[in-house]
Amino acid sequence: MIRVSGLTMVFGSGDAAVHALRGVDLDIPEGDFVAIMGPSGSGKSTFLTLLGCLERPTSGEYYLDGRDVNTLEDDELADLRNQKLGFVFQSFNLLPRHHVLRNVELPLIYAGAPREERSKRAQELLEQVGLGHRLTHKPSELSGGEQQRVAIARSLANNPLVIFADEPTGNLDTKASSEIMSILQKMHKAGRTIVMVTHEPEIAAYARRIIYFRDGEIVREEVKDELR
Amino acid sequence: MNFADLVQIVWENLRAHRMRAVLTTIGIAIGIAGVIAVVAVGQGGESVIISEIENMGSSLYFDISPDYMRGETADSSTFSLEDPALIKDISPAVEKMAAITLGPMVDVRIPQSQKKPLMTSLYGTNPDLADIMKLSVEKGRFLSDLDVTAHARVVVIDAGLADDLFSNEEPLGKKVFVQDTPLTVVGVLEKVPSSMTDSSFGVRTIYAPITSAQEMLNNRAISQLCGVAASEETLDQAISDSVKILESRHSSLNKHYVGTTLEEQLEMVGNVTSVLTTVIGAVAGIALLVGGVGVMNIMLVAVSERTREIGLLKALGARRRDIMQQFLGEAVALCLLGGMVGMIFGIIGAFTIAMVANWPPLISIWTILLAVGFSVIIGIFFGLYPASRAASLSPAEALRHL
Repeated sequence: MIRVSGLTMVFGSGDAAVHALRGVDLDIPEGDFVAIMGPSGSGKSTFLTLLGCLERPTSGEYYLDGRDVNTLEDDELADLRNQKLGFVFQSFNLLPRHHVLRNVELPLIYAGAPREERSKRAQELLEQVGLGHRLTHKPSELSGGEQQRVAIARSLANNPLVIFADEPTGNLDTKASSEIMSILQKMHKAGRTIVMVTHEPEIAAYARRIIYFRDGEIVREEVKDELR
Repeated sequence: MNFADLVQIVWENLRAHRMRAVLTTIGIAIGIAGVIAVVAVGQGGESVIISEIENMGSSLYFDISPDYMRGETADSSTFSLEDPALIKDISPAVEKMAAITLGPMVDVRIPQSQKKPLMTSLYGTNPDLADIMKLSVEKGRFLSDLDVTAHARVVVIDAGLADDLFSNEEPLGKKVFVQDTPLTVVGVLEKVPSSMTDSSFGVRTIYAPITSAQEMLNNRAISQLCGVAASEETLDQAISDSVKILESRHSSLNKHYVGTTLEEQLEMVGNVTSVLTTVIGAVAGIALLVGGVGVMNIMLVAVSERTREIGLLKALGARRRDIMQQFLGEAVALCLLGGMVGMIFGIIGAFTIAMVANWPPLISIWTILLAVGFSVIIGIFFGLYPASRAASLSPAEALRHL
């Protein structure tokens, strides 16, 4: 479902040029759970940004669900992110001024979903992550683990093909981390494709496949078990 | 994103920075208040001019004064009592003409009364004035030619003064003391709607035969002649005839005269109004400009504060237009807020000016639409740049922003 080949990313130019990615080839089939590991500066976050269509690669091909992403306009990319992709960030990135329900509704608002339908959907998702009783709280009134659960609910709003998670447990304690990971694992079991960047081996261990990055290239890959 | 969602999100965002929002809108509020005051003053002034024309009745009115620009003043030799009749006889262009001693303020009281004397404006004049100024008599009669030749001790009073002096009593035939001279009331004028010439500023007016007025005031000077022309076409003719006749009659003293039409006089009123309008308008314009720049500034601050948030919204699927709408919406909402406050103060200001200047306060639905429209335009104008900056951020870069 995700196929990239020869993907490169260069920041800056001339002597100051930084080669964040130096030709990456990767296939991620539907239903996969991939962990991307590597030291900082290895290009793993840049790679996730490109997969998430948040930035365009310097060169290389990217096919997502059969579409050539490089040919899409900015607004088409926005729609693609809205409909097919979900994001979970290290720092949760919830909007502090809006309550939890509204935060989860945001992707649905941009999708143009009718008011009642989207609030019902957001409520369902929050119940799924165990926050049905916190709908009208502000994010600052929640713990880190709860905030990340809100973010996961938000990422699922439009029932996307892929969830991209960038260090989802980076700001959480062990207990909250394992809560979040068990939610992600449950999603994987239910057939959702997940691509996650992490530098913690015990977090990566939840994934089916672990891909190691170094200096902008894939250096090693571990597969735990076959994809059903 | 539909409109209701936009409004709700904008509202939630602004509420998060209440103090900032209020401070930002002050400039806009002052500007909008000014704009409303300008419109009210402009319309009020105009309505006074129009009602004045309607009251004075005709565009045929003119008056003749000594040429003040050449340093002449009205003294006892400027006009003579016979001038009006003479001019009327000689020039077919002149329909009516009266001489007036422009009213000095005099005390009027009724005998055997403890009431304080009332300050009134005394006009000494001829019977023609009633037709010239369109004065209608409600009770009794206006002055007659006989009154003038007989130096009759009679007086015509306006409706306001009749109320003040006699309340419910019948004023006709009663005596009033003007200064210390007893005069008999022979007529009461009809009530006129507020107008500059008589009841405005609460000033009452009385009319006495010019001959008796001169004696009472011990002043032989006639301050001006006023008349009406036979037709619109002959108005200029009437003025130039009058001036020529006067200059030849008083040629030994080498006098100069100048005629003014009602229109020209009202133009002067209009000029005062337009000066006022320009001054307030300039202040309002500057306030709006400064206020608008303030809105732009605060929106730029908001964009840079919320860069990461913009990145997130884009990651969640916000299109360029969604971001644009949201920030433009906030700028417009700030201006609208200022516009509402400004409108309230503008309306208060317009009422105050109207009260002081004694013209009707004119606040129409258009004033409100103007305030709203202006606010929206300023919001869009000054919000466009910050909003487009927000909308054009790259999502990945915005998300990396700390």
